[in-house]
Amino acid sequence: MKETRRNFIKSAGCALGMATLASQVHHFGLMTALAQKLDVNGRRKGSLGGGYKALVCVFLGGGNDGNNMIVPNHNDATISNYSAYAAARAPQGLAIAQNQLLPISVPRMGGLAYGLHPVLGPVTGGNNGIHELWAQGRLAFATNVGTLVSPLTKAQYQNNSVTKPFQLFSHLDQVYQFHAGRSDTFSFTGWGGRASDLMTMGSNPNGLIPMITSIDGSQLFTSGQSTQALAIADAGTPLNEVLNPIGFGDDAISQARLQAFNQLRAVDRDNNYVDAASAITDSAIAANSALATYQEVTVPFPNTSVGRQLRQVARIIKKQADLNVDRQIFYVERGGFDTHNNQLGGQANNLAEVSQAVRAFYDEMVVQGRSAEVTTFMMTDFGRTMNPAGTGGSVGSDHGWSNHLFIVGDSVDGGDFYGINTSNGTPFPNLTIDGPDDATNNSANARGRWIPTASVEQYAATLARWYGLAEEDLSAVFPNIGSFASTDLGFML
Amino acid sequence: MSGSRATNSLALLAFIVASLAVQQVFSQIDPDPNSPTPVLLHAEDDQSRALVSKNDVEQENIPKSDSVPYRLGDTVRLFVSEVDLMPGEGASAFRVYARDANKRLYRFPVLDLSEVKSSKSVYALTVRFRDEIGYWEQPSETGDLQIVVTWRGLVSNPLLLGLGRLGGLKFEVSEGKKPGTYEGETVPESVGYRWSGDRIRFLEQATFGPTDALDHRIRRIGIRTWLAEQFGKPYPSPSNPYPEIPLKPNNIETGCPFPRGTLDFNLCVRTHYSMYPVQTWFFKEAFYGEPQLRNRMAWALSQLWVTSFPTVRQSSHMFAYHKVLSDHSFGNYRDLMEAMTLNPAMGDYLDMARSTKNNPNENYAREILQLFTIGLFMLNQDGTLQLDENDNPIPTYDQETVNNFTKVLTGWTFCNVGCPNSTLGAVNFKDPLVLNQNNHDVTAKVLLDYPNAVSRNIAAGLNGNTEMDLALDNIFHHPNVGPFVGRFLIQHLVTSDPTPAYVSRVASAFNNNGNGVRGDMKAVIRAILLDPEARGDEKTDPNYGKLREPVQLLTNLYRQLDVSSADGTQQSDGYVPHVSAYMSQNPFGAPTVFNYYPPNYVIPGTALVAPEFGLMNTGSSIARANIATILSFSNIPVDNRNPPNSPLGTSIKIDDLIPVAQADPTGNQLMDRLDQKFMHGTMSAAMRNAILQAVLAVPPEAPDFRVRTALFLIASSSQYQIQR
Repeated sequence: MKETRRNFIKSAGCALGMATLASQVHHFGLMTALAQKLDVNGRRKGSLGGGYKALVCVFLGGGNDGNNMIVPNHNDATISNYSAYAAARAPQGLAIAQNQLLPISVPRMGGLAYGLHPVLGPVTGGNNGIHELWAQGRLAFATNVGTLVSPLTKAQYQNNSVTKPFQLFSHLDQVYQFHAGRSDTFSFTGWGGRASDLMTMGSNPNGLIPMITSIDGSQLFTSGQSTQALAIADAGTPLNEVLNPIGFGDDAISQARLQAFNQLRAVDRDNNYVDAASAITDSAIAANSALATYQEVTVPFPNTSVGRQLRQVARIIKKQADLNVDRQIFYVERGGFDTHNNQLGGQANNLAEVSQAVRAFYDEMVVQGRSAEVTTFMMTDFGRTMNPAGTGGSVGSDHGWSNHLFIVGDSVDGGDFYGINTSNGTPFPNLTIDGPDDATNNSANARGRWIPTASVEQYAATLARWYGLAEEDLSAVFPNIGSFASTDLGFML
Repeated sequence: MSGSRATNSLALLAFIVASLAVQQVFSQIDPDPNSPTPVLLHAEDDQSRALVSKNDVEQENIPKSDSVPYRLGDTVRLFVSEVDLMPGEGASAFRVYARDANKRLYRFPVLDLSEVKSSKSVYALTVRFRDEIGYWEQPSETGDLQIVVTWRGLVSNPLLLGLGRLGGLKFEVSEGKKPGTYEGETVPESVGYRWSGDRIRFLEQATFGPTDALDHRIRRIGIRTWLAEQFGKPYPSPSNPYPEIPLKPNNIETGCPFPRGTLDFNLCVRTHYSMYPVQTWFFKEAFYGEPQLRNRMAWALSQLWVTSFPTVRQSSHMFAYHKVLSDHSFGNYRDLMEAMTLNPAMGDYLDMARSTKNNPNENYAREILQLFTIGLFMLNQDGTLQLDENDNPIPTYDQETVNNFTKVLTGWTFCNVGCPNSTLGAVNFKDPLVLNQNNHDVTAKVLLDYPNAVSRNIAAGLNGNTEMDLALDNIFHHPNVGPFVGRFLIQHLVTSDPTPAYVSRVASAFNNNGNGVRGDMKAVIRAILLDPEARGDEKTDPNYGKLREPVQLLTNLYRQLDVSSADGTQQSDGYVPHVSAYMSQNPFGAPTVFNYYPPNYVIPGTALVAPEFGLMNTGSSIARANIATILSFSNIPVDNRNPPNSPLGTSIKIDDLIPVAQADPTGNQLMDRLDQKFMHGTMSAAMRNAILQAVLAVPPEAPDFRVRTALFLIASSSQYQIQR
């Protein structure tokens, strides 16, 4: 992204703190206005999360099939119902049986019944999963969200009169756009990174680690211009070891070697790649002492990749005060969702791991007293085709477009769908292949790739606003947010 | 006695033939690989300031002085000398970088190159003062920038250029050291390749790491002969053949009918249902194998045509896939495309093996276009994007094209009956997929469009085999394939962000090997490895080089250090995949079809293209340092599992280095030796001094520990971890 002069000044140094202060005052005023609204549980909107706030991104790598994560479980003939769903998927064997769906009632859909994928419920030997949080108002879904440059109809999709996101249906490009928070052009930075660029000096002026921590390597989402994520291993490695170089004792020989190890990074920086590698190691060494001690979490986490990643996040949040950070963004990822085949078993296994890990993490936040301050949200590559790929035992689905995304936490206005209305006047798409919400130019090749109505940036801006990003900075983080009527999908209190 | 004479003649003939062969091997002299360092001309009245002329000035003359500031968007000429251009080498071989007072890096597009008529061997570079990277906003017109020109991986002298006004930036003009590794004309056996720095660099690019033996061999026979020798080497190494592992049922319990937890069961699972055999075979071949270049190419191609465990379930499946890569590493790319399309592991990984006319699956059809051959956007031959009238990139295809390729490729499946390796109760992952015409979509199709497109339209009613041929021809002749594959291989072997000129030269070799053949991989490999941007003792371009991926960091260090079993008595067992995985690269287990890292990965916080940095972050950078510690001071021990994963272990041997450390208590001889070995003679004084301080802290009575101390510091340094 091209950095404006003002943003650079704001992120460049604490000495120039007036602009930051001004933006916080501005934002504070807005929060006070919002605070008058009450949610269904009597919690005051905008009143939650005073001191500390964290956003935790759970990325479902490969493109989770939203069509099997949320299924219509009603027989209302005026809107896509279970029969419409089953007609599109049952013949090839990809439909989930109606009696297996976990029921949810959706106010936004007139109280109609929908069903969640069965693995989002209790698991033997595990916890109750995230489904249980729906009725408690702590789980919401943003529906029919996807990459957009600006809103577009099916007709506009077909006649190319509105710019489309570049390279629809291509994994990397769509992942980058979810991470970048823009779909008009390639971006060098992600929306998490840009938000951190603008907020670090105001929120974490003396933080001992960067505002963003990734448990899955360095990511576009976590990269800003002045912000680079701390990237560390999952909880399989004790937190005090993730950045600790081994083999250096207190003896003079070791210390001389350590000194040389450090000195080598201070020289020969004229090659850009040497410079970049040394800069990364410098950040690791700088953060290492801050992680020298930690307390273990108390809730049992599943011993899965995503479970260990979220457990490591929970360890860091537990020592937030030591780290001197008031705002944190985390990134974890569970891959394997590119279910072109064997989706029934594959997605079930993957989603179960995610649900179990997210629930354990939520429960740990409750124990830590952080459940209103920490919001977990999902991103993924794209949705998948309604029309299955293949048939029978190996059935799967191909690359699609819009998707449904979960948000979990006590600051979530849960128990409902949030989004922008589709052709049927609700935020849940019409599930008819080659129907009004299907992005296709050629009926013969129609597969059911839903055209998003809510954009990634609307979804992300809703989260970023809750996190504390100033209104005036929204357009710096989401350059195309002005192309959309609303900047808030409403799922955060 | 005629019989005896005949025998003697035959023996004599054999001797002559052998001598001729030897003669041929010994008689080739490679040219100096070092390109001259470009010199950016300075103003006569200020030696720190670049000589610039407005582009409208008559080109015949070089202006004498330049003390006016320029504006953003100005198109001007800079002047360089000491460049020695090949035919066809022009503006795209040059890059102009600028840094401002905030250390922000910009790149100005080079629009044209022309010889200055009045002054021979001086070239005028037409440059526009407008950053083309796009990471930062355009530089502000508030004072001097420091500019350099780069060419063939070499950087010119830096000079100042006033933007908006003069002043505001100061720097020291420093004399760079000359590598000076040329070993002279009069060395005995003075043929072959006498540039010691470039020999090491070449071996880092063409093998899994230099060894003293290979260094001596190249020294004697030269690069070109060595390449020819490698092209003809049998593979895999006779001492390390592909293991013959039978196909097993998908179900482990059926495939390994032993009680869980027993030795039989564990051994069976490890042999058949894990990558252990592939990984240890691979590392043994990397450590000790003869066909280094082929193995290195197969490894690079495995990161283009990606499949991975655990989707690829059995070691036998992965070996069959790896054979395809090896078989075609020096063949024709079109043949590789076909063999990969019909490879069962790929057919399973990307679902072509279950895509039918009634239930098509788009996965392979999309990825063969996007990832394996042409990419998403129309490219120029030099790999840069073609742009439309609105300056937007031009997609190579759309969803409709993917649908059509999907239909073309329907009907293929595993040959479970009637093929050489068909096995009752197991899926045949060894023989190529076979067509079931009943499942093939016979409607007409429209494929890729490009100038003079080959086989764009496929008529209805054809056989699926014919259609696959036509479709692969349609892809293969797309003008993107040369630059797409060429750039990918350059990135894997040489440098992360090659100049367009380099890509263009390699693409040209792909397009035509000189005999009218397209897709000849030997020609591509020669073009990559013999290019002047690859060759030379030292590369000074700040944008040159690549991060060693974990696998190659390991193999290069181990090969340089006489890799052996843990007790040093025999060869290593090759069990180091877990060490690589600790540094985030589990060989043959890429996370997705997008490989361990994408080819266009940009280092966060910079605009640097650097694929391997996708695995480099705070956590893995420390993991790399920790592996350097283990490798230098310890070993990969024999483990006590039953069966052991590491029956022999792995260690370095430093027997040849200890005497060097012993002979010279000042440590200087050791540093000289390690500089040559690991840094091809380019170690800076600052790096050397830092390491020497730590070496000297170790008492001279412990030369072994001195060596290990220096090895750790080199292995963990960014200077070494960037191969350049």
